[in-house]
Amino acid sequence: MISAPAVSRRGVLVVGALTALAAPLAVACSTPEPPLPPDPLTELAVQARADAAAAAAIASAQPGLAEAAGLVATNRGEHAKVLQAELDRARPPSPSSSAAPTKSAAPTPPPPDPQSAKTALTDALTAAEKKASELVLTLPNFRAGLVGSIAAGCAALREAVR
Amino acid sequence: MPTSTPNSGAPVSPSQGRQLAPEVIDAVQQALSAEHAAVWTCSLATAFLQQDNLAAANDGATAHRARRDATERLLRDVGATPRPAEPAYLPPDGQKPVSDAASAIAMLAAAETDGAHAWHGVLERTDDGDLRRTALDALTNCAVRAARWRRTGGIAPFAVPLPGRS
Repeated sequence: MISAPAVSRRGVLVVGALTALAAPLAVACSTPEPPLPPDPLTELAVQARADAAAAAAIASAQPGLAEAAGLVATNRGEHAKVLQAELDRARPPSPSSSAAPTKSAAPTPPPPDPQSAKTALTDALTAAEKKASELVLTLPNFRAGLVGSIAAGCAALREAVR
Repeated sequence: MPTSTPNSGAPVSPSQGRQLAPEVIDAVQQALSAEHAAVWTCSLATAFLQQDNLAAANDGATAHRARRDATERLLRDVGATPRPAEPAYLPPDGQKPVSDAASAIAMLAAAETDGAHAWHGVLERTDDGDLRRTALDALTNCAVRAARWRRTGGIAPFAVPLPGRS
């Protein structure tokens, strides 16, 4: 913690050389704390929410894929929920920011034909599984279990979409 | 809580004094039990399945045997005695005994679901990078085969959101 004597008026006046030191310290005191680095789960949560929204759009646009895409939307939505719960547990949201959790990407229109829609679903699941699998090896135990389960859940969803 | 970092150096050689905490060994033993049960279930199921599902059951049996053998080796390497297989296994409560293709598929799905739970139990207890990789791979494979059997048997939902947890 930076203490008062370092920036006391008298000290600054008497020892001119100190001002060079004291000025940046005073600035450091007056600026807000630097933001924490982003939680590594944030990206997974954003992607899960975006995947759920994209799958829901495909489910309503492609009747032939309604069931499979609906399941992807449900399960990826569940992933987003448990990830957000873990993010909030680790860093409780401040009252001012609680209304806006992690932003989701702008929705893109669903692919026009069933085959490309199916490919889009599969590709998103493959990417999500890869990202989660890589993260598993770097996380504390509890989170490793959660994120590993999400990776396995994405791999299992691919079977449902096939 | 300790944090594991990705393994950057040489792979951990289990024979070179690798140590696992007692609760991790216990979780691995439970995963081994699930593998024994899965091997048994795959073999039983082949007696009831139609031709078009036999290959999948045989693939499952091969994969679970390999996993079982590797898990036994791992346990011996850390000085534990691998749990033996039971003489036979029962379907979960509420499921009927295996007597036809549908009940065989239901028991296959249940065995894979049990495997996912057991390997998830290993994953959330260990800091060992190699063991985490193994547990994640086993969890994922069990979850995929569970989804495949549920789809084959028309058991909804085909995929649960959080294999090993839900």
